[in-house]
Amino acid sequence: MSIKLEQLHKSYGSDPIVRNVSLEVNTGELFVLLGASGSGKSTLLRLIAGLITPDSGRVFLNDRDVTYLPTQKRGTGFVFQNYSLFRHMTVGENIGFGLSIRRVGQSERTDRVNELLQLIGLAGYGDRFPAQLSGGQQQRVALARALAYQPNVLLLDEPFGALDVKIRAQLRQSLRDIQQKLGVTAILVTHDQEEAFDIADRIGVIERGELLEVGTPSDLYQRPQNLFTATFLGTANLLTGRRNGSTVYVGDARLPAPPHTDHLRGQPVQLVCRPEELTLFTSRENAEGEVIGGGVVDSISFAGHLIRVNVLLQGQGDSPRILQALLTPSDARDLALHDGQQVWVSVRDYHLLPQTEIPSGAVSS
Amino acid sequence: MREISPRSPVAIVLIIVVVAYAGLLFIAPLVAILQGAFADGLEPVLAVFTDPRVQHAFQVTLILSLIATAINAVFGLIAAWVLVRGKFRGKKLFDALVDIPFVFSPVIAGYALIVLFGRDGWLAPPIFSIVFALPGILLAKVFVSVPFVIREVQPVLDALTPEQEEAAYTIGATRFTTFRRVILPEIWTALLYGIVLTFARAIGEFGAVSVVSGNIEGYTETATSFVFRALNDRNDVGGYSVSVVLCLISLVILVLMSFLRGRIVRRGN
Amino acid sequence: MTGLPLSYDVGSVKRTQSPTYGVWGLRFVALSYLVLFIVVPLVVIQVQGVRYGLDVFWQSVVRPEALSAITLSVYTSAIMAVINTVAGTLTAYVLVRYKFPGKRLFNTLIDLPFAIPTLVIGVMLVVLYGPQTAIGKFFTSELNFRILFATPGIVMALLFVGYPFVIRTVQPVLLQMDASQSEAAQTIGAGAWTTFRRIIFPAIRPAIVTGALLSFARSLGEFGSVIVVAGNIPMRSQTATVYIYTQVEAGNMQAASSVSMVLLLIAFSITVGVDLLQWRRHA
Repeated sequence: MSIKLEQLHKSYGSDPIVRNVSLEVNTGELFVLLGASGSGKSTLLRLIAGLITPDSGRVFLNDRDVTYLPTQKRGTGFVFQNYSLFRHMTVGENIGFGLSIRRVGQSERTDRVNELLQLIGLAGYGDRFPAQLSGGQQQRVALARALAYQPNVLLLDEPFGALDVKIRAQLRQSLRDIQQKLGVTAILVTHDQEEAFDIADRIGVIERGELLEVGTPSDLYQRPQNLFTATFLGTANLLTGRRNGSTVYVGDARLPAPPHTDHLRGQPVQLVCRPEELTLFTSRENAEGEVIGGGVVDSISFAGHLIRVNVLLQGQGDSPRILQALLTPSDARDLALHDGQQVWVSVRDYHLLPQTEIPSGAVSS
Repeated sequence: MREISPRSPVAIVLIIVVVAYAGLLFIAPLVAILQGAFADGLEPVLAVFTDPRVQHAFQVTLILSLIATAINAVFGLIAAWVLVRGKFRGKKLFDALVDIPFVFSPVIAGYALIVLFGRDGWLAPPIFSIVFALPGILLAKVFVSVPFVIREVQPVLDALTPEQEEAAYTIGATRFTTFRRVILPEIWTALLYGIVLTFARAIGEFGAVSVVSGNIEGYTETATSFVFRALNDRNDVGGYSVSVVLCLISLVILVLMSFLRGRIVRRGN
Repeated sequence: MTGLPLSYDVGSVKRTQSPTYGVWGLRFVALSYLVLFIVVPLVVIQVQGVRYGLDVFWQSVVRPEALSAITLSVYTSAIMAVINTVAGTLTAYVLVRYKFPGKRLFNTLIDLPFAIPTLVIGVMLVVLYGPQTAIGKFFTSELNFRILFATPGIVMALLFVGYPFVIRTVQPVLLQMDASQSEAAQTIGAGAWTTFRRIIFPAIRPAIVTGALLSFARSLGEFGSVIVVAGNIPMRSQTATVYIYTQVEAGNMQAASSVSMVLLLIAFSITVGVDLLQWRRHA
């Protein structure tokens, strides 16, 4: 079941919440809609489910125009952030609800419910009530309930938002496994970038109602086409420069232009590089790779398995910029890093974006 | 606030004062009426209930109260739904109106019925008479007990988030099925409580009924109007006996109310 | 995955979720019901009251019997409201705060006035305090204080009828109250009375006012118990509701309408006021 959205638009009063969003999701794909709170992602999901009707635009499920079809007839499975299990029904009754509505016989229903309980790892829990389950267990039941009647598409609205970090990681892997096993097309909405990277086939970045960019996780991370995407997905170091010929001029440095950036020839650009792509050296002579420039260590902080180093880059013309680098502890030790130390910064992988008015430096959302 | 055992003398005095006040107000009169009814022994009391007029009066009361309760249960539920979920202009005004029957003197209600349906009334129907007949009593009973179901169901409905319903819709349930299987189970305790209150009010209604029914003995006399007439006729035993039965009915209703309220509180936690 | 059919279709869902027709249908039913049973009687009384002109209306209201009846109703209801406010607040506090034997039974009995027919309330009071009983005789002869068939009797009946209101509005607020506030006050050094006066009371004040107003409005319209208990002597012990009743029985529709309108106006403004206080409503 593929999903196609054509110029979907929805406003509340004079506030546009979803602005002319067009999107195609392939059959069997796990598509993640990634955006901050208020970006319109939940509204978009509800438009697909039919819980809200759009002001304009169309929704197609498997080439069938369902824009004005009521929710009940769309054949979607929806998982809510706060589970929304029916409190007065047992786990088994919750899961079997969709089947009982479709007049599936008692014994067939029981079989299917047990099958699903197995699938979600809660075999034997059929007679319990939602209040007796933990958050993670309730969410699994909600998933089973949505899958019970074999929907064409699975829609998940920040399903793990209310859960602990560890549970979240486990559950999203289970979700991925189940989704792949059943081959059901799924759209998951989240603000958690880590979650998106972990399980998405493709990600759509949405901000203020607009679908900014769609791509695989690595494409979006390494070659973002949009400044918002660059800064939303992890930290981005931004430097202003100019692309001429096949070179990028950043401050005093000259770097080879990365591939696929010919369209920016002769224009001012933003150089985007991720903190983990930066390497620090204690002297100019030792510096290898493409050197951006020299600077002074501004701060060092501990980030679990890595060390985060902020470097005040000098010689940038108008004002110094702070760059963020991520080093392994051993590298940091080798350099004997300390505040105020003079270092040189080189970069391995980087990308170019058209320049906008955003101040540069290390930017993350 | 946390519940503690009373230790200080002030606490004990407070408890005693409070209980004594209630005792004086309720218990004493209850005991007194039991005494008054059985003052001449058991037989006169039993004789009262074999009187066909008394039996008819009870019949009228119970049947009409049941019908009134049924009407208010169904329409009250719908009204509560519309008032909680609907968005339309003037909704707040309608909501405020629901409290009117609480404070609308029943005599005035009965009078309004006469103005509308009496002999020279605005809407006097040609075929069957409403005032001085059972339909008038029914209308009076419905009017005075309108708010109970609505006010009991409203807060519970309001507390339900729409997501359970949305979940049911996405699964494929029609609005009616969703109401029947998802919403109703959540509100049925409050609904039942409202129904019990409605029934109690309908049975006990006297003011409107006495104005409207003409108290035609054996025809439009209700249990309460029987008591009134009995007292005026100095038929003390008759009046007291029927009062005692009405009290007993009330006590049963009270126990039901208490049971249901306990369930409402527990579910709320 | 198994041998189950490939897809479960909802099949023929006969009823489409068309948000317009169904919703407006329900709305129509609900609003008609409310209009029919609440607005119509209200309108009827108002129209009837001013039907023959405002001066006729005014005259029938200021007739001595009418004025006296209205005054008596307001006066007795006010006394009742004051007494029951104090008693009710204390009772609510005791019920929430303390454990004592028979508490559950007591909590149940509080609703008795909601369940008992008002007429029966009047009968019970007559049986207990009537002039032929020991108590009645005692008060009449020794203290020259007639209970029944006089104002005190009316107040007693109203006390019974209005008893639960303040209790049931204050109780939930107290139950919901956070213990930590009073505990904080205690650590600072406040005694029980101070804690009550400055921490608890301000929190329950809106509920108390609401309960008091409701009991007042309810008592204004009370009929069943009053007609049994009061002497029904015009200008002396006849309340407004009984006055209306006798006027209707006598066929004096204008008099009945006018006083009805006055009572209604008072009651209506109270309920609207309570609703504006926005206490009872789903927040």
